[in-house]
Amino acid sequence: MLNIIKTINNGNVIFALEGRLDTTTAPELDQELKNSLDGVTTLIIDMKDLVYISSAGLRILLSAQKIMNKQGKMMIRNANETVMEIFEVTGFSDILTIE
Amino acid sequence: MPKKSVREMSALERKHYSLEARVFHTAMLGSIILGVVSLLIGLGLYVYALAGQYIGEAFGLSSSTSVVVNAVADTESLSKEVMTIYHGLSDEERADPESEAYHARFAQIEQREDYQYLLSVLRTFRDSGNVYDLYIAVYDKETSALVYIADPEENEDYACPVGYWESVGQDEIDKFLNWNGEGKLYDIGNTDKYGWMCTAGVPLKTASGDITCFVLSDVTLDGLIHGARMFALQFFIATLIVMVVFALLLVRHMKKTIVRPINAIADAAESYASDKRSGADVNDHFAKLNIRTGDEIENLSLVMDDMERDLLEHEKDLTKITAEKERISTELSLATKIQADMLPNIYPAFPERPEFDIYAAMDPAKEVGGDFYDFFLVDDDHLCMVMADVSGKGVPAALFMMASKIILQNNAMLGKSPAQILTDTNAAICSNNREEMFVTVWLGILELSTGKLTAANAGHEYPVMRKANGQFELVKDKHGFVIGGMDGLRYKEYELQMEPGSKLFLYTDGVPEATDANQELFGTERMLEALNKDASATPEEILKQVRCAVDGFVNEAEQFDDLTMLCLEYKGGEQYGA
Repeated sequence: MLNIIKTINNGNVIFALEGRLDTTTAPELDQELKNSLDGVTTLIIDMKDLVYISSAGLRILLSAQKIMNKQGKMMIRNANETVMEIFEVTGFSDILTIE
Repeated sequence: MPKKSVREMSALERKHYSLEARVFHTAMLGSIILGVVSLLIGLGLYVYALAGQYIGEAFGLSSSTSVVVNAVADTESLSKEVMTIYHGLSDEERADPESEAYHARFAQIEQREDYQYLLSVLRTFRDSGNVYDLYIAVYDKETSALVYIADPEENEDYACPVGYWESVGQDEIDKFLNWNGEGKLYDIGNTDKYGWMCTAGVPLKTASGDITCFVLSDVTLDGLIHGARMFALQFFIATLIVMVVFALLLVRHMKKTIVRPINAIADAAESYASDKRSGADVNDHFAKLNIRTGDEIENLSLVMDDMERDLLEHEKDLTKITAEKERISTELSLATKIQADMLPNIYPAFPERPEFDIYAAMDPAKEVGGDFYDFFLVDDDHLCMVMADVSGKGVPAALFMMASKIILQNNAMLGKSPAQILTDTNAAICSNNREEMFVTVWLGILELSTGKLTAANAGHEYPVMRKANGQFELVKDKHGFVIGGMDGLRYKEYELQMEPGSKLFLYTDGVPEATDANQELFGTERMLEALNKDASATPEEILKQVRCAVDGFVNEAEQFDDLTMLCLEYKGGEQYGA
């Protein structure tokens, strides 16, 4: 299960994720991101309530990062220990901006 | 008890003709109600008309007699004399009007000449009319009695001599004494002595208007009652015959227009179902019914016919879809088989190599997965091992996995170092990766003669190493980014030394991220625990231990990620005298 809460604030788009980002839920986030990144300069992904991320989820983050590299910046916030460990193991911690 | 389906019912239990029976019962009930009501009305009219005629006759006779009697006798003095004697008697003396003693008290009146004459006049009038009796009597309010003055009856059993009295109801007395002269004065009563009787009368009055006595005529109504009974019986029999015939005709009509068509539709539905079950190719069960009742039942048969045709269409579509699904499913399972066959899966893998023992297994969560392992000899002294995990699952992941596996192996076979293999593979994949898929790879090359392991990690899980006679521990190696994620990356490699008895365990995230029903992860702690349960076991047994621990942990929850593991045991090379 994944809940996506989207907030727009002066050209900043904040996606608050809640639940699990895996093979079943990743397409949902993919669709949401594709629909809302036009002209966005700052994308913030809040992972306070995200308990798990799988490789399918990482792929979505990578796509978003690549888009944002061209038009602004993307930041990851409040990733928990499990998610952080996955970022580190997969090397994503090197290419993502994690606050 | 569960309700039986019609199919399971016996011929007796099925409701074939209950509609017919219901129509019969309803028709019969309706006719009976109608019959009873019309019988009551008819009977009422019959009795009313006939009784009216009887009463009119009796009243007319009384009226005409009353005109004559005063001319032949002095009824006033006659009545007064009788009533004087009557009132002069004590209650005991008056008690039995039938006795000789009582009768004797009025003997003097019978001697009167005008009395005898009066009797003969009354007799003449009585015989001229159609009445039972015609007589003169006094209603005595004081003793509630009718006291006879003159009765011409010859039959001794019924004769009422002068002075004879009968008790009568107060209502009857009031009715006669207070008559206002309008209509006909009569009273109907039922007595044991006379049966049903109507008494009609006319009062005789004094000059001052006081009633002295009444001229009364009795008409028996027994004939009327008997007639009414006969009428009712005949009417009832006639009605019964008519309504049975009517109900039977109605039932016949119902059977033809409703029951039979409905049964025909039911039979058609039943044979439709049984033909479908037996696979018979008949598709006009309802069309051939040809029901032409011109009402809702014809409509029903048409709707059923439409339904049969629609179902046939639907069935054809469904067959097509099912065939398509089956084809896809067959292809998918074939793909799974090809994928599994691509990975080395014959054990022992290198029976001619005593330096090491290796075992690996892959259990995809879906039909085809994105995990893979690989191991092959680059040359006589170098064993290359790969553990990788493609992002996502299903057919796209499997296709990407195939490509990655081949590119990795091709690069490795060129004798490159692990870091170079990953760097070149990344470049190859990134050059054409519009879907932005990526793969995490751990790749190591073991120098069999020395036990030197050179490895590089592209975003994959930490490998697990066991020193000889030691415990399995995570090797927190340096991680590069995943392969396919970003172009132009360079990977770094590191070295580990293996001694005889050392073991290396590789896995994908399906192992630590196996989840139980409470959404708790299996984790590397539990994985190490399972590995160390019997660290000295063979690679194959070690994989079984981990699998067992994961299954026990996940329990009821569905496996949602692939489980891929590889274990290598180094037994020593030339350097160790192998």
